[in-house]
Amino acid sequence: MNASVVMPQDAPGRIPARAGIGLRFRHHQPVAEARPDVAWFEVHTENYMGGGTVPRYLDTIRRDYPISLHGVGLSLGSADGLDAAHLERVRNVIDRVEPGLISEHLSWSVTGGTYLADLLPLPMTEEALAIVCRHVDQVQAHLKRRILIENPSTYLRFRHSTIPEWEFLAHVAQRTGCGILCDVNNIYVSASNHGWDARTYLAALPPAAIGEIHLAGHSIRGFGQGRTLRIDDHGSRVAPPVWALYREAIARFGPIPTLIEWDTNVPALEVLMEEAATAQAILEEHSNEVACANAD
Amino acid sequence: MKSHAPTLIELQHAIRQSLQGGVDGDASAFVINEGLDPQERLGIYRNTSASVLVTALQLAFPAVRHVVGPEFFEGAARLFAAEAPPRSAWLDEYGADFPQFLAQLAQAASVPYLPDLARLEWRVNLVLHAADAELLEIARLATLGEAELEGLRLAPHPAAQLLRCEFPVDAIWHAVLERDDDAMAAIDLADGPVWLLVQRTHGDVRAGRLSEPEWSLATALFSGQPLGAALAAASGAEPHTLLAAHLARGCYTGCRLAHETMALKP
Repeated sequence: MNASVVMPQDAPGRIPARAGIGLRFRHHQPVAEARPDVAWFEVHTENYMGGGTVPRYLDTIRRDYPISLHGVGLSLGSADGLDAAHLERVRNVIDRVEPGLISEHLSWSVTGGTYLADLLPLPMTEEALAIVCRHVDQVQAHLKRRILIENPSTYLRFRHSTIPEWEFLAHVAQRTGCGILCDVNNIYVSASNHGWDARTYLAALPPAAIGEIHLAGHSIRGFGQGRTLRIDDHGSRVAPPVWALYREAIARFGPIPTLIEWDTNVPALEVLMEEAATAQAILEEHSNEVACANAD
Repeated sequence: MKSHAPTLIELQHAIRQSLQGGVDGDASAFVINEGLDPQERLGIYRNTSASVLVTALQLAFPAVRHVVGPEFFEGAARLFAAEAPPRSAWLDEYGADFPQFLAQLAQAASVPYLPDLARLEWRVNLVLHAADAELLEIARLATLGEAELEGLRLAPHPAAQLLRCEFPVDAIWHAVLERDDDAMAAIDLADGPVWLLVQRTHGDVRAGRLSEPEWSLATALFSGQPLGAALAAASGAEPHTLLAAHLARGCYTGCRLAHETMALKP
């Protein structure tokens, strides 16, 4: 498969270019009952692979909101190949939820039949690029849908990497026709940790491929002697410099569906809605600027 | 220490060894050493990985965790995760071997009912996440002749599990999760064995006690024995009455006649 493959343009329950919220279990009931004013929700695919109450809540919520599926388990960068059983489970969730967008990560988690329970960094090599592209092709062919690939937050780099991460991601999109889920917080975290220029990263991504943006909070962890790393823990509000970078991303990419992620110490829904309102205001500012520029 | 550039599979095996066993040899050598040591950098991933798996086990075994205390539980869960890591990212199905691991853990031997409690919680976890399926319409069976009924095989509902425990862990499970100290104090550990049907009805998971004859009949039917053979082997005076009461529990999803190789739709 390549970039010319035909993908449905109007997926069921299309995700609007507005601010959405990552839906976690503790908010199932309030969302299903109160139907708050949120443009769309995103859930982790792996949390809905069984039956019973949990997916039934999502069925209910899906009737009122577009839903995006965000996976953590396909391990697109595994040298061993894809896990066919897991891919089939993903497809079953897609059949049930009819998501507007489907995304996964530029990372790996499985080797030798063991799931290592984290999104692990890939070496940025031609070999890894070929493997990731093969797996994205296989996933898109199996699902008969375009997927989005998210840039990772990383805490280490490999000596034998030869391709800048932003070029690697652009190559994957170009070769497979997949889209890019641009996680602005991850760009900020990785750029801080590795001394990259976040603007260079943004500038290298092909605007036409950007299908979604993620925003989340991160923390700073100390390692003694003044040494620190930024950790992408999704446990706080979006940091001010990440909001600034988000404005630049929207200026470059145009209005893109934007998700507020919060996974540890998940706060009340109202806090997430405040964060979403901030993102929405930036999206609307951009639209107004474009409208004014066109009127001139 | 390797000095050449590793292939992707070599790199991934080395990182797995580092994350699971804390053996840092090759993985560290592949990581750029600037600011932080490669070991410190790999340690971030090792900690995340371990805490994700500990959390998954905490969610599946909340009563076990309460009985042994959170610190002991975390230690045991970390040992288990290193010894028996999951095979896929569907973590709802991770932990099947944890009860057996606890049974062999010398430090847990002072709580004799702990492995039974863990077995019950694992069945509860399976039932909680089991696939949805329609219930068998019992009225349909009334349309069958005696010979057809003899050879009939029932398919257990995915959200139904049978379990026999030496200790009354259903009572312990309830008392622990409801933090009911009085109920806990009233439990007589000699009040076993118990024969349990763990079942999801309307979203709730319950562990109900069966009589030993009903449990034996259910075990025969769950294993795919034809109705006639299961009834012939049943103990007690009124096997048909027992069967009727058992079928009313709604723990089957389909059935097939002796000559059918494919299961009928429910």
